[in-house]
Amino acid sequence: MAKVTLRNVSKRWGAFIGVDNQSLVVEDKEFFVLLGPSGCGKTTLMRMISGLEMPTDGDIEFDGQRVNDELAKDRDVAMVFQNYGLYPHMTVHGNIAYPLKVRGTPKGEIESRVQEAARQVEMLDFLDRKPRALSGGQRQRVALARAIVRKPRVFLMDEPLSNLDAKLRVSMRAELKHLSNALKITTIYVTHDQVEAMTLADRVAVMKKGVIQQLGPPTEIFDDPANLFVAGFIGSPAMNLINGSVRNGRFITMGGTSTVAVNTPDRERVVLGVRAEDILVHEEGGGDLNVSVYAYENTGENVMLTLQFGQQRVTARTDRGLRKKQDEKVGLSFNPDRLYLFDADTEERIRT
Amino acid sequence: MDFDRQTKDRAFAFLRGVGIAMIIFVFLGPILWIFLTAFKPLSAVYTMSLWFEPTLDNFRQIFDKPFYLGQKLWNSIVISAFTVAIGVPTALAAAYSFSRFPMKYKKSLFFGVLATQFIPPMVVVLPFFLMFRTLGLLDTWTGMIWINLSIVLPFAIWMLKGFIDTIPIEMEEAAMIDGASRLRVVWDIVLPVCVPGLFVAGIFCFIFSWNDFLYALILTKKEAVTLPVTLNAFYTEEGDRWELMAATGTFILLPMFAISFFIQRHFVQGATQGSDR
Repeated sequence: MAKVTLRNVSKRWGAFIGVDNQSLVVEDKEFFVLLGPSGCGKTTLMRMISGLEMPTDGDIEFDGQRVNDELAKDRDVAMVFQNYGLYPHMTVHGNIAYPLKVRGTPKGEIESRVQEAARQVEMLDFLDRKPRALSGGQRQRVALARAIVRKPRVFLMDEPLSNLDAKLRVSMRAELKHLSNALKITTIYVTHDQVEAMTLADRVAVMKKGVIQQLGPPTEIFDDPANLFVAGFIGSPAMNLINGSVRNGRFITMGGTSTVAVNTPDRERVVLGVRAEDILVHEEGGGDLNVSVYAYENTGENVMLTLQFGQQRVTARTDRGLRKKQDEKVGLSFNPDRLYLFDADTEERIRT
Repeated sequence: MDFDRQTKDRAFAFLRGVGIAMIIFVFLGPILWIFLTAFKPLSAVYTMSLWFEPTLDNFRQIFDKPFYLGQKLWNSIVISAFTVAIGVPTALAAAYSFSRFPMKYKKSLFFGVLATQFIPPMVVVLPFFLMFRTLGLLDTWTGMIWINLSIVLPFAIWMLKGFIDTIPIEMEEAAMIDGASRLRVVWDIVLPVCVPGLFVAGIFCFIFSWNDFLYALILTKKEAVTLPVTLNAFYTEEGDRWELMAATGTFILLPMFAISFFIQRHFVQGATQGSDR
């Protein structure tokens, strides 16, 4: 159990910058998610915490103690890898026992702790199997058990669910959440999947090009995005982003359509962001705008309507009972409390 | 129509059988000849007859004066065994370093290692002779093990590097995070996973040093003479002793048969190893 502190940490390979002068505090027992697209530096950041990668600049501290010069083996962290990193020549039992064996734990204790870890991930019946005789989900459980078998100071998870099929990913996600609540160990979790970040995290750091864009609880990231990148990255479907300008207190699209009242002084080159669930669809003539249905998609739990006005298309999430035809005219309005304005050039949020 | 086709198929099958038989004969004929001749009495050596009274006389002769095959056999065993015992661990260490550690001029170094393999033995054997004479290594086990190592190591390193390159690095990183030192990672993780590769490298080292003729011919004289060189001794004043050569030949061939049998059993198992990630 530990508080992890990063101070002005950078990682460069020649001219390439992996992580650019980032500072960060992960609190004790916190579930912390590093979220971003591939190549954003999130895995590099985690690998520096693990000791597998050395920072070019800056300090890494566990509970206030600098660990920069400690090798991975001495940092007392546990890590779960995307492709599991199991030892193919050892049984499940051998895999789970390995961290204890290396540390010279007495035989009897190894036995009881392997049993306990295997029980927690529900792999007790498979202890004699080799990894190749297991399914992807089972292998991931073994990797988890190997991580939890000793009580590490920090858990590191590098996209642990992304090699699993969609259905398994959802159930494993719930198991991870349950497990982490039970274990109460500081966890740093790397993912590119915003749903994993939303559901698992106490706090999320959204990264892009080696720089943390926004750091906060998932709801804050979702409800109050700091810039265009975060707004576009979080949420499914992605937030609708409409280019335009603000004139006389109203947002005007590039095509000249006056859409909605915004509480902002006049300015050019603005992006309006609105989530699919914050677009309200009315019968023809209702709402603020008259639009036509470009596409009607029923996902079962929702009806997704893509609506066209002028050159602009937006996607709205509506009730699953809604029935519309292509090209049918409907009315549209935006939830005025959930509108986001961004500067099109700096991509920063415009706050009023 | 159907009938025609059947005859055609049958004719093709027959021709194919003949073809296979001929190829097998070309490959295996000489080996068969050696085994047969090894057990033939002198009178039957020059006949192609398959019916003769088998005798162990030839074997008795080669182990006796003046050939003393026992000593040569022992030389071959010792030299080959040490070549394998030193060569495989050394190659593993070098291959692991080439595969995993960043180093300056790595590509050039690795190419250099491989390039030594392209030098024709005839070109280097004379400098080696002079060097060994100065160092007093001529006609010694040490000298022969040394020269064999210089030949087999580049290939063994190159082969094992290819093998280690395919081991997912996450396995090693996981072990390091689990608390293992680099050496322990190699011992606990890399070595067991490499076993099939180590066998191939070991077998290659063994076959090369066991079969080597040129180096042994020039760099040994009496004390460290190996089996293949012994074959030379059968061009005697009474003529070429084919039956004695054949008897010696069986000794050279036997380990190869043992190895191929072993490889077959081992590699069925080895092929599936490491395939799981």
